[in-house]
Amino acid sequence: MTPGKKKKFEWVFFQNLVVRQIRQDYLDNVTGFAWLILQPLMLLAVYAFVFSTIFKARIPEAEEIGFVPYLAVAFWPWTAFSEAILRANSSITANGALIGKVAFATEQIPLASVTATFIMHLVGYLAVLIVLQLMGTGVHWMYLAVALPVMLLMWVFACAIALFVSAIQVFIRDLAQILPPLMTFWFFTTPILYSPSYLPESIQKIAQWNPMAWFVARLRELLLFGDLNLDYKALAMLLFVAIFAWASLRFFRRFSGHFEDFL
Amino acid sequence: MDTLVRIEAVSKIYPRVHKSRERLQAFIALLFGREPAHGAKVLNNINIEIVRGQSLGIIGENGAGKSTLLKVLTGVIQPTCGRVMVHANIAAMLELGAGFQPDFSGMENVRMKASLMGLSNRELDERLDDILEFADIGEYIHEPVKHYSSGMVVRLGFAVITACRPELLITDEVLAVGDESFQKKCISWIQQFLEQGGTLLLVSHSMYVVQKLCQKALWIHAGGIEQYGDVFPVTQAYLAWHEKRSARDQEMRIKAAGDGAYYRIEHFTLAGGLGGDQPTFAMGEDLDIELLIYSPDDRPPVGVVGVVRADGTPVYGVVSDNENAVPVKVSGHHYRFRLRLKNIALLPGSYNLSAHSMDPEGIRVFDSQQLAFTITGSTKEVGYIRLPHEWL
Repeated sequence: MTPGKKKKFEWVFFQNLVVRQIRQDYLDNVTGFAWLILQPLMLLAVYAFVFSTIFKARIPEAEEIGFVPYLAVAFWPWTAFSEAILRANSSITANGALIGKVAFATEQIPLASVTATFIMHLVGYLAVLIVLQLMGTGVHWMYLAVALPVMLLMWVFACAIALFVSAIQVFIRDLAQILPPLMTFWFFTTPILYSPSYLPESIQKIAQWNPMAWFVARLRELLLFGDLNLDYKALAMLLFVAIFAWASLRFFRRFSGHFEDFL
Repeated sequence: MDTLVRIEAVSKIYPRVHKSRERLQAFIALLFGREPAHGAKVLNNINIEIVRGQSLGIIGENGAGKSTLLKVLTGVIQPTCGRVMVHANIAAMLELGAGFQPDFSGMENVRMKASLMGLSNRELDERLDDILEFADIGEYIHEPVKHYSSGMVVRLGFAVITACRPELLITDEVLAVGDESFQKKCISWIQQFLEQGGTLLLVSHSMYVVQKLCQKALWIHAGGIEQYGDVFPVTQAYLAWHEKRSARDQEMRIKAAGDGAYYRIEHFTLAGGLGGDQPTFAMGEDLDIELLIYSPDDRPPVGVVGVVRADGTPVYGVVSDNENAVPVKVSGHHYRFRLRLKNIALLPGSYNLSAHSMDPEGIRVFDSQQLAFTITGSTKEVGYIRLPHEWL
C-alpha cells in the first residue's frame, strides 16, 4: 500500500472543517449567525429597490411574478456557486501550514470550503424564499423536494470546478486574479438578470451549453412556475457532472502529492 | 517478519519554484508525469525497511534530509522517484503544533487533530479525559492556541497522539521543547509504547534520547544513508565525525585568519620531575610550567593553564588576568608566562596539562595545547586530588 492510497477521506474531520469555516465567517461578528439570514434579506431589499424602482426592469413572460422574485430565485444559487469557487480557489494556499505537515486527503480542504459556502447560502436562500412568499409571490414549496436535488447537483458541479482551479492555483498564482473577472463574465452570460429569450438567437445556441443556465432555469421553473420540466437533458446533466467531478478529482490527486513543494 | 514500512530507492528533488515561469514549467512537467527539470536533490536513493516492534533513530546534521525523509514516509510529500510502502496506521508529529489553528482554542484543535487522525467523535469523547490529563495544561485548554507557549503546544500535540494509539509513531525533534518533567513523561510513554509492541521512528539531535529509546540508528548525510545499524556504533561514529569536523573547522579558521593574526602558543613546556618519555612527577613535587605566547599587536595576552584527567574531567584551572599575573616580554611580540604548581596534590594517574592563549581582554580563546604527564606514588586514597586532612 502506498501512502497515497492510505490517505482516507475522514468524515469527522471534513465535518469539522465545514463547521470551522462557517464559524470563522460568522462567529466573530457580534450577532453571529443572524447575519446568515439578515445579509441576504438586506441584499434582496437592495435589489428590489434598484431593479424595480430605478431600472423598472420587467420580464415579459413573467409579468405576474415580478422581476424581483424572478431574479432572487436564480441569484442566490449563483452567488453560492460563484463564491464557493472563488473561496475554494485559494483554500489550498491558505491551508499551506496544515498540508505541509500532516498527511491527509487534501481534497477535503476545497470540498469543505465549497460545502460551507453552499450551506451558508442555502440558509439565506430559504429565508429569501419565505420573505418572497410573505410579500405575495406564490412559491411552489412542494417542488422544493426537486429543487434541492438540483442544487445538490449544482454543489457537485461547484466541487468539481473547485478541485480543478484550487489545484492549478497552487502552481499558477495568477489564477486568483484571473478567476473573479471570469466568474463575472459567466454571471452576465447566464440568464440571471434577464430571461433567456433576451439573447440573440445565434448566442442562444451556444448559451444552451452553459450548465449554469440549465440550473438557473430549472430552479425558476420549479419554484416560481411549479413546472416539473425534467427531460433527457436532466439525465445528460447528471452524467456530465458525474464525469466532470470524477475527472477533477483525478486531476487534483495527480497534483496533491506535490503541493508541499510549491506552497 | 512483519514489515510496516519499506522504502525502495527513494529520491526527492525539490523543484525550483521561485519564478512563475519555473512554477509553470514544473506544473506542465507534473501534468505529463515527467520529473521536474531542475531542483535541489534532498534525498538520494534511500532504502529502509522497518519491521514491527523496531525502534529506529534517525540522526544527521541540519539539512541532511531527515525531515524530508519523514515527510516522504508519512506521505506529506511524494518522492520524486522510488517507492514507499506503509502498512500501518501512523501518528506523526513532524513539527511543533502541526495542524493546529492558532485562532481556535486548544479543545477545538484537539477535536480537529483527532478527527484528522481518524478518531470518531465517540472515541474522542471516551479518551478526552486522558488527553487533557496527559497534556496537563489546565484551563488553558479553552484559550486560543496562539496564546500558548511552545511547550504547551507540544504537550497538547503529544497528548492527542497518545490517544490515537498508533502502530507507528513518528516524531521529529519536537519533544525537546517540553520541560524536563514533560520530556520524562513522553519518554516513559514511548518506552511503554515500545514494550507493548509499538514501532518508533524518531529524529533527534540528542544522542542520549536516541540511545535510550532506539535499537537501531540511521545516519543520514547529504541526502544519503551514511551508516545504518545498531544504535551504539552508529551514534558513536556520528559523534566522532562531528568532533573531527569541528577540529577541522577550527584549523581552517586559523589558516584563514593568516599566520600573524592571532595569539598563538609558541612554546609550552613542563620542567622538573623524573624525566623519561613523558614528564613524570612524584606526588608532592613542583611542576614548573612555561608558556610562550605570540601577540600580533604586541599587547600582553592572557594565558590559561589547567589540569585535566586523561578522560577529560577538568581538575583545576587558572587564568592569568584573574590573578593579575603579567607576562614578561622576551622579544618583539613574544610574551612569557611562568607558573609553578607547588607541592602537587594530584593523586597518581595520567593527566593532561592544557594551556590556552587569549586576547588581552580575556574574551576569546585563540590557541590550545596539551601536554600529557603522569603522577606516580603509592597511596590508597581515591579521587583526583589530595585534600589536606587529619584524622582526629
